[in-house]
Amino acid sequence: MDEFVWRALLRDVVSLTMEHLVLVASSASIAIVTGVGVGILSTRHARVRHVSILVANVFQTIPSLALFGFLLPIPLIGGIGKRTAIISLVLYSLLPILRNTIVGITGVDARLREAAVAMGMTDGQLLRMVELPLAMPTILAGIRVALVTNIGTAVIAAVIGGGGLGVLIFRGVASVDTTQILAGAIPAAALALGADATMGLLERKSRWR
Amino acid sequence: MPERPFLSFANVSYHAGEHLILDRVSFDVFRGETLVLLGRSGSGKTTALRLINRMLEPSAGTIAIDGKNIAESNVIDLRRRIGYVIQEFGLLPHWTVLENAALVPRLLSWPPERQAKRAEELLEKVALREFSGRYPNELSGGQRQRVAVARALAAEPLVLLFDEPFGALDPITRHEMQQLFLSVREQYQGASVFVTHDVLEALVLATRIAVLENGKLEGIFTPHEFVQAQTPVARAFLSTLPSNLKPGPSANG
Repeated sequence: MDEFVWRALLRDVVSLTMEHLVLVASSASIAIVTGVGVGILSTRHARVRHVSILVANVFQTIPSLALFGFLLPIPLIGGIGKRTAIISLVLYSLLPILRNTIVGITGVDARLREAAVAMGMTDGQLLRMVELPLAMPTILAGIRVALVTNIGTAVIAAVIGGGGLGVLIFRGVASVDTTQILAGAIPAAALALGADATMGLLERKSRWR
Repeated sequence: MPERPFLSFANVSYHAGEHLILDRVSFDVFRGETLVLLGRSGSGKTTALRLINRMLEPSAGTIAIDGKNIAESNVIDLRRRIGYVIQEFGLLPHWTVLENAALVPRLLSWPPERQAKRAEELLEKVALREFSGRYPNELSGGQRQRVAVARALAAEPLVLLFDEPFGALDPITRHEMQQLFLSVREQYQGASVFVTHDVLEALVLATRIAVLENGKLEGIFTPHEFVQAQTPVARAFLSTLPSNLKPGPSANG
């Protein structure tokens, strides 16, 4: 391959990596806000817990490729493009975040929670001062799993025109071009490893003694 | 003793489902007093304590503090005005000793300097000033309980509740904690209720001892009366003391 081809490939890698990051960052932030929010509500209302876990479980069991496909024909949220990709990535990331938020909060020692309430904490203070700080390592572990999976799953977004590093991989597969496949796969793997390491660091930092 | 009781139970009952845990219990606690609730496990003493800060609500009867029915007060405000010390697990593990001691002032939104000043003052009192930056798991069991006592006192509570706070401590530390309790008690103007199943502890700390059995009040005695009491549970508790150590009639509260 001559220099011109390399340059073009490098340009593609850079712009598609950025696109990939946008897909991941936007879907992950929506998933974090929704997952943690619904998770907190779930610890207050049993019915919300049952429904939310059920829904998140259902989304999780649908193979990712099929989930992208399912959304395509749905009006408003479906169609070809980034929006559909982001929505399916959100649905796909919800379960680990939701589940770990619930597990983290309900895992706080009941006697500690009771002592805090007996001191005169309101429910909001209990959440802010006791439950969330103590549940934080568990919640971050859930976000870590969601984020790393999300970076991998976002590759498939290319199938429905969502862009990202999957474009290179699918193009490479179609044209039997190992270089292109690797040009997509290696940055995707690096992103996943980087996210994993960063989240691991945050998780350790959030641990109370 | 002053005329008006500071904390009073009037025919208080508590049901948990079918079970009657407390059966028409009545007693009064006056300012400056320590009422010890003595009874075996399951006698209802902890339930009685938890009715005072409304962690439980009575099925019948009324509880009043300073003449006001607590059922009519705001439950959050009430709890912030009641100091509560329990066995273990009370301290927030992710907060320092100072932050733990300042918890209730913080909930009451005192200015931060005043919170810190008050917490330091109380840590001084329980001889833990130099530990203020540590976390609870860096303290011994006795030190943790001293932080819990400081925390309970921080916002000048109306009533102090102790739920077997020293039960898990070794005898020497327990003795030190009891002495600390007595010295704190001297300067404290409100009423205290102390739950224990340890008859010696009851005799050391109480101004009066209320004996509970199966949710019923068997009797209320001064320590002096208690050692001569003829009621069955009081006798049963006294019989656990080695005979050569049994407090004589000269014992006073």
